[in-house]
Amino acid sequence: MTAAISLSGVTKRFGKFTAVDRLDLEVPVGVTFGLLGPNGAGKTTTIRMTMNITKADEGTVRILGRTLDEEGQQRIGYLPEERGLYRKMTVLDQLLFFAAIKGVERKTALERLERWIDVMDLRPWLKKKTEELSKGMQQKVQFLGTIVHDPEVLILDEPFSGLDPINVVLLKDFLLDFKRHGKTIVFSTHVMEQAEKLCDRIALIYRGNKLLDGTVKEVKAAYRDRVPLPPPVEPEPELEKIFIKAVEESGLAAPTQEELR
Amino acid sequence: MRTKVLHVVRREYLQQIKTKGFWIATILIPALGLGFVFLQVLLSSTLIPEGKIGVVDLTGRLYEPLLLEQKSVSDTDGDAKPAGPEAKPDETAKRMPTKITFLSVPATSGTLAEVRKELNAKVQKKELKAYIVIPEDGLSSGKVEWRARSVKADMFLRESVGRALGRAATKERLRDQGVDPAVYEKARLNVKLDPREASEKETPEDAKNEGANLAISGILFMLIYMSIFVYGAQIMRGVLEEKSNRIVEVIVSSVRPTELMLGKIIGIGLVGLTQYAVWALFAFTLTLPGIVGFVGLANGSIPSIPVGTLVAFVVFFLLGYFVYAGLYAAFAAPFNSDQEAQQFVMIPGMMLIISAMTWIFAYNTPDGTFARVLSIFPFTSPLLMFMRISVQPPPAWEIALSIGLLLLTIWGVSWFAGRVYRVGILMYGKKPTFPEIIRWVREAD
Repeated sequence: MTAAISLSGVTKRFGKFTAVDRLDLEVPVGVTFGLLGPNGAGKTTTIRMTMNITKADEGTVRILGRTLDEEGQQRIGYLPEERGLYRKMTVLDQLLFFAAIKGVERKTALERLERWIDVMDLRPWLKKKTEELSKGMQQKVQFLGTIVHDPEVLILDEPFSGLDPINVVLLKDFLLDFKRHGKTIVFSTHVMEQAEKLCDRIALIYRGNKLLDGTVKEVKAAYRDRVPLPPPVEPEPELEKIFIKAVEESGLAAPTQEELR
Repeated sequence: MRTKVLHVVRREYLQQIKTKGFWIATILIPALGLGFVFLQVLLSSTLIPEGKIGVVDLTGRLYEPLLLEQKSVSDTDGDAKPAGPEAKPDETAKRMPTKITFLSVPATSGTLAEVRKELNAKVQKKELKAYIVIPEDGLSSGKVEWRARSVKADMFLRESVGRALGRAATKERLRDQGVDPAVYEKARLNVKLDPREASEKETPEDAKNEGANLAISGILFMLIYMSIFVYGAQIMRGVLEEKSNRIVEVIVSSVRPTELMLGKIIGIGLVGLTQYAVWALFAFTLTLPGIVGFVGLANGSIPSIPVGTLVAFVVFFLLGYFVYAGLYAAFAAPFNSDQEAQQFVMIPGMMLIISAMTWIFAYNTPDGTFARVLSIFPFTSPLLMFMRISVQPPPAWEIALSIGLLLLTIWGVSWFAGRVYRVGILMYGKKPTFPEIIRWVREAD
């Protein structure tokens, strides 16, 4: 089976600094893959090279069995770490533009958006300019922009950074749904908890070198003897779930955009 | 062209066209222009020389003739302005109307000092606008004193009085030679050169109208200049906006950076063309019969623009726009804010200003060395070659060379801009130095 993403000997230097050093990575199709590492480890550079936004100095990058071309681009959904929207564009125009540059026809895009617009409560905001939306709402538009072309592979750079707990849950559910449909997800994070919950496979990179690579199970097995086990804990509800429950039980409607602004 | 570029073009175009700012500017610019013209007409009517002038005539011969000259000014003809087609050959053009009154102040060389004192006081109290002192040898030396509260103000008044005095003195001097001063009026002839091209075909009337020519060439020249400036700045702002909104990386995962840049440049260029189209429509409406009379433009005849000039305008506007748009995109991409970009954006800005400042060479001596060099050098040629063509078509090879070099430059600028843009749009944080930018260009592929 061809890998969804395969990097071999990929290297990037900025002047004298080697950001990524002969990195090999293999992401099978249908797998949720966590690219882990501290800040400055080379995660963003690796992702940018995968997306062909930054050219690798050495090595080869193959996505779905081929070098990234226009057709390949249309099969990938990419959410960069530095992300944003056109402030003066309306939500709908913006989403249609994202679809258009991914080669999706307007009609198809509208049909596909229809379902998500309700899931994300975006309907009242479609004709509003992005700058009028709250930050949480803008984040939803941003996700939607990433998947409007129904990609086979999702590449997300620090997707959870800056999200409020409600959007974190929304994104997690959304990724799980994506996974259920047999699609491939690659995301970078420095929050191990998220990786543990979502990923099938992980790789840890540090200073441009790969330290670990494998399924979560394999990695854990390899380190079982060397890392102290956590003390057993009483199962207790997660704070995140409590947060959402409390909001629901308050019986208060979500604040309107006018109130938020 | 790939459809993705078209989507970028479409977005840029629609986003601009949808703003209120675009329509306000589109309507305001010609309105302000027309308003400015009307204001000038209005103001020029306040420039009629006016005031009471004291005359100390030590020759004792000039005061009366001066009065006569002054009187004839208001109803007849005289100097400078060219004759209209309806003027008879012996009749010269209208003199500027004046509202000057003269007051004779008797004095001799003995009492002059005292009289001066009195007159100075009157001028200071504004009872007199000014006074003149014609010395005893005034008729031979031609030197006359003008005393006013300021030596700088009332230029038109001073000139008007000077001309009247000159005519009066000339007639007196003719009389001294035994010639009847009436002969002077009869013999006076203003020669008007009728410019025609040295070829068998007749130049159309319009083309001979120098004032209108200058106005048309000037307006079109300014349009190219301002559009490149305004839309260049627009491109710079667009690039910076995409960077500061952090959207650019989202876009370049679907569209190549060079395509994004190209789409932006074309989209904004189309916005410019749309603005021209709206203006052309305005201008066309103004030339409809009836409206012309109502607005009172140019005695009811708006000179038509020669086709060659119009073609040159479109060609050189587009070529100039692409050269400068690429530069603006390249000079904006590495930076994070207007302020940071400012110092580099000054480079294309200065080149544009230099082109604009040297227009007079291209207008007055279109085949001079300076004009020829500037109209071939690709950063000044869009403006100056246009000006040369509109005045006196240069040899075809020069136009071809100019266009060829421009096309080559557009290619070079796009190459350079594409490389800077590709790296620059992903660079946040520290403001890059010029050597760093050059390194990007060398290393990017």
